[in-house]
Amino acid sequence: MTNYEEEDLKEKKLDFDILKRLLSYAKPYRFWLIISFLTIFLATGADLARPYMIKIAVDDYISAYDTPMRVYGSRDELKLAEAEITDNEALHETVASENSFVIFLNNLFIKNEPIEFSGKYYLRDEATRGQNAVQLLEKDKDYFLIQGDVPENSPFEITAGSVVLNGQIFETQQLSKDEYLQFRQNDMKGIRRVSVIFLFILIAGFFFNYLQVYLLSYIGQKVVHSMRTELYSHVIRLPLKYYNDNPVGRLVTRLTNDMENLNELYSSVIVSFFKDIFLLIGIMVIMFRLNVRISAVVFITVPIIGFITAIFRTQSRKAYRRVRIKLAVINSSLSENISGMKIIQIFAQEKRKMDEFDRLNTDHKEASLKELVVFAIFRPLMDLVYSLALALLVWYGGGSVLDGAISFGVLFAFISYVEQFFEPIYDFSEKFNIMQSAMASSERIFELLDEKDSMVEAENPVQLDEIKGNIEFKNVWFAYTDEEWVLRNVSFTIKQGETAAFVGATGSGKTTIISLITRLYDIQKGEILLDGVNINQMEISQLRKSIASVLQDVFLFTGDIKSNIRLNNMDITDEKIKEVAENVNADRFISRLPNGYDSTVEEGGATFSSGERQLLAFARALAFNPGILILDEATSNIDTQTELLIQDAITKIIKGRTTIVVAHRLSTIQHADKIIVMHKGKIREMGRHDELLSQRGMYYNLYLLQYKDASVGIVE
Amino acid sequence: MKELRHVKQFLILYKKQYTIGILALLLVDALQLITPKLIGMITDEIVAGSIDKGGVLRYGLYIMGIAIFIAVFRYVWRMNIIGSSRIMEYWIRNKIFSHLEAMSTDFFNYKKTGDLMAHATNDVQAVRQAFGQGVIMLTDSIFITITTIIVMSTTISPSLTLMALIPLPILAALVTFMGQKIQSRYKLVQESFSDMSDRAQESLSGIRVIKSFVQEDKELDRFSVSSQGYVTNNLKLVRIFGFMFPMIGFIASLSFLIAILYGGNLVINSVITLGELVAFITYLGMLTWPMMAIGWVINMIQRGLASLKRINEILDAESEIKDIEDNISGGVKGSDIVIKNLSFKYPKANEYALKDINIKLVTGKTLAVVGKTGSGKSTLAALLLRFYNITSGEILIGGENIEKISLRSLRDSVGYVPQEAFLFSTTIAENIAFSDPSLSMDKIETAAKTASVHEDIMEFPKQYKTITGEKGVTLSGGQKQRVAIARALIKDPDILILDDCLSAVDTKTEEAILEHLEQVMQNKTGIIISHRISAIKNADEIIYMEDGAVAERGTHDELVNLDGKYNDLYKKQLLEQQISEEV
Repeated sequence: MTNYEEEDLKEKKLDFDILKRLLSYAKPYRFWLIISFLTIFLATGADLARPYMIKIAVDDYISAYDTPMRVYGSRDELKLAEAEITDNEALHETVASENSFVIFLNNLFIKNEPIEFSGKYYLRDEATRGQNAVQLLEKDKDYFLIQGDVPENSPFEITAGSVVLNGQIFETQQLSKDEYLQFRQNDMKGIRRVSVIFLFILIAGFFFNYLQVYLLSYIGQKVVHSMRTELYSHVIRLPLKYYNDNPVGRLVTRLTNDMENLNELYSSVIVSFFKDIFLLIGIMVIMFRLNVRISAVVFITVPIIGFITAIFRTQSRKAYRRVRIKLAVINSSLSENISGMKIIQIFAQEKRKMDEFDRLNTDHKEASLKELVVFAIFRPLMDLVYSLALALLVWYGGGSVLDGAISFGVLFAFISYVEQFFEPIYDFSEKFNIMQSAMASSERIFELLDEKDSMVEAENPVQLDEIKGNIEFKNVWFAYTDEEWVLRNVSFTIKQGETAAFVGATGSGKTTIISLITRLYDIQKGEILLDGVNINQMEISQLRKSIASVLQDVFLFTGDIKSNIRLNNMDITDEKIKEVAENVNADRFISRLPNGYDSTVEEGGATFSSGERQLLAFARALAFNPGILILDEATSNIDTQTELLIQDAITKIIKGRTTIVVAHRLSTIQHADKIIVMHKGKIREMGRHDELLSQRGMYYNLYLLQYKDASVGIVE
Repeated sequence: MKELRHVKQFLILYKKQYTIGILALLLVDALQLITPKLIGMITDEIVAGSIDKGGVLRYGLYIMGIAIFIAVFRYVWRMNIIGSSRIMEYWIRNKIFSHLEAMSTDFFNYKKTGDLMAHATNDVQAVRQAFGQGVIMLTDSIFITITTIIVMSTTISPSLTLMALIPLPILAALVTFMGQKIQSRYKLVQESFSDMSDRAQESLSGIRVIKSFVQEDKELDRFSVSSQGYVTNNLKLVRIFGFMFPMIGFIASLSFLIAILYGGNLVINSVITLGELVAFITYLGMLTWPMMAIGWVINMIQRGLASLKRINEILDAESEIKDIEDNISGGVKGSDIVIKNLSFKYPKANEYALKDINIKLVTGKTLAVVGKTGSGKSTLAALLLRFYNITSGEILIGGENIEKISLRSLRDSVGYVPQEAFLFSTTIAENIAFSDPSLSMDKIETAAKTASVHEDIMEFPKQYKTITGEKGVTLSGGQKQRVAIARALIKDPDILILDDCLSAVDTKTEEAILEHLEQVMQNKTGIIISHRISAIKNADEIIYMEDGAVAERGTHDELVNLDGKYNDLYKKQLLEQQISEEV
């Protein structure tokens, strides 16, 4: 279910402090990060190689037939010349070092091999242009070998079997197609070679692309996972007070949706972002390397792209937010109207509510159409800019080919690179938006992480070897908020092994007392002592481990019966679980379940009756075998048979330990060593059952109301 | 096509937009075929040297000119096709809402609000995608594929076309296959995400238990496992997702490879020109997208149809509570209520919720219903409003069986205050005047005064203009109940039903309201349901209900004298009051 919270729509500009903090989580993965950057580099290289391979195929093989050739009379002559050429090229290389990149690439592929044709050897050599060269020409599927050469891309004519250019007649030998193909067998071989290399580059490219996506996703997942568990660990250690002030839903949102935004940052942005950047830079570098002037002309479009993208980004973001907000309004209206459908129907307001809904729906439609306009303008506009770049390239690049400044293959490579250049730009702005949401989420996450635990652990905690279970409240004042006192000046003592029962009307403060003993909240005034030690001086974990609570609303976790009794504590064996369950009379209903102790517990323990849940909670408390037991009895209706089982269980488990009961049951009260009657945050009466009854005070009335059938009481 | 029955009407309505859009789309596709041709031609002319710089410029301008046309038509198809699909989203959503308004209470008992909302948002959006993006991709992929292949094979080389296209069907198959796989893995990711959310939600809700038993570390381990599961599923998705895109690139590039290898040979053999090869390679680039699109579009349309099915299910649902045309005798003709031998079972339930109820209530008199939770008190009110059809027996209002009274007239004549005071998130004034927004402020205030909520309202900074609910002021339970009472009173109905609507109101205010009501009720028929005896003491007749049947009946004094269950309850409540009033 999509649930758009207002919060989800917030965004934040790039904040370097937050970014730094985010990056610190990636530190453990430094090595893999470096590897992944390496793979990005290699993957980008492979992507960039494709147009270049086509350029080589076109320039060096497919359309290289008219490169002027030297002619050698014999093999020896050829060998001598070849050695010379190699030297020259080496020399050439050092001179033209600025173009060493291109030369490096060229050397990788070009293997210029001589062709043997009717006893002579022909070797292509661009340098021989105009110097005793011969040249292969083709026109309308007729093939010629001429002495001398015509410049590239010249419109020569064939007159009386001879090649003629601007009135100059070349000595021409017409070749058959087979003869022509003999000259071109190296080109065919060359294409095959390029194809094989191309295939390897493709495979490598595939491999590196896959690897980089996987590696970065892997790192991202790990980072988010470690952040999430850190946050969770922080959140569950926050004091209970924090939970009262902050809805659980919000905390869950931090752990899930906000974290998901970070996940998105990794999986959608970072994974492709660096690749895109590398690619754009790579394309620009190659293009400028190939030809500075043409690149400069084509990249005139870059500011236009930047301008359009910037406008689009703000506009689309605005439009998108509008749509989301309107949709959120529709959602909340829907949810409200579905919940209140009865009222709408009773008051016969269907028509009006329909009109109202239609208005919201229309608002959303209009926002949605506005968003569409933004996209309907931007996308074609970007395509138009691409076409502009292409047109500029055809015009200026084509002119340069005519001037002989570049070869045709270079122009073709340019066309391909420009196409590649535009690909990542389309969704750049979307990635930018994801980044902003992630920034906002990070800020909220860090804010929560920085939330201080207000419950201070004692610096040098008092370690008690054994908890005996003497509890004392000394003038305790407590309020959940500000000065709205829930407990006022409460003092009492409960001795080791005693059972104390708290009674009182709803809101009298009796339930609060049991939260204070386990230090779920800190009191404002007074002292709570356990075996004479202020509980603030004890280690919280030791304190809580010595006390087991059975709360009124038994909270069962999704899982099975066993896990609900041992609560993740694997020290409690299966045998022990069975033993305690038998002890508290829970074994009977558990063993009746289809899978016994392995039976699943649904969310909230919905399949169990409240009596059964109570018994499970007893088992849980007993399994932890605490010195002190806190028992908040359930008020809800429990069938008589279960009630008896519970009574029996209670008598068993309170034996021999200090027990504090918020009592709703007659038997518990009657056996209590001390009954404390609470009223409006104060202790009203204290004493044994019969003592209090004979006082005919508040206890007497409460007793009549809660524990006995009212009519009997009144009549008495 | 049967699935389209509910959206057919829309498609007919927007026939023109779809036609224009598709034509524009086809035009764009056709125009796009020209540019590669131009590039091919320019190549050949440059190679042959038969062109000067002016000629090159002219080609550049052609390309630009075509691009401008393409941009315009792209705008046109986006606005028309995607625009229509967005209007369709609106249209379907309205239709769903208006249909929901006609559904019975029972329907809402079985459909969760969350699910209904999911249908009205997620499913509607999936349908929109199918009818927007889906239509475009389908048209595009079919048309571009066919025309491009035709152009390539007729104007360049059939054998080269055949060779170079070999990898492309593999691409389409891959996208289709992997798309499904991705979807199923994506579902796994979503499942583990909600598993993780549930875990966090549950543990944080049970934080008290966790803290009490010092289980923080163990709990963290558990959550970590959950989070790890999410990570694992995500990486599983990445493994296939990250595989697919490079694979698409790889397969598409294989076509280029074949074009170079085989096409290069063709050029050398003078079968085609270099320009034709260049054009061919550009065309190949154009084919990659539709081949991918075929894969996507299949998934998208499948999803859209599945969503449409779910939406149809709602739209096909019929309410069992409706006016049966020939049976309707007209409006309400009086306000005497007679219930005869009424028994009722909830739909799908086995047990009777009401058993053999008989009541006679004359205009001006008030009946009170008391009893424990689940005794059938509220069910009785629900039947009087005809939220459910009666199982056996009959209810007569003004001497007419309520099944023969039109729903509109029945509900118009009844003022009902429900147990849970549901208010809408609008102003208090609008909530009170819910039955008729044209009601004057005077009347609103009078109703609020009768319900003893006027003074509370005046204390809010915005008084009657205060917005209620989450985004405004959260009213207390008692305030909400009183606003709901005012809302019912302002209708000035002949019959007033108060369904335990004073439970959150303190005793003093309760007394004041009851006093006001006494005057208002003089010429109305009243039914007050309550668990508090103080609220109903003065009723003309009181029935004490137990397990769906009337256990005791009479006036307050009669019932106290009877000294039965009613009296027990009464005494208990007196005692309760006594304790709570102590200082």
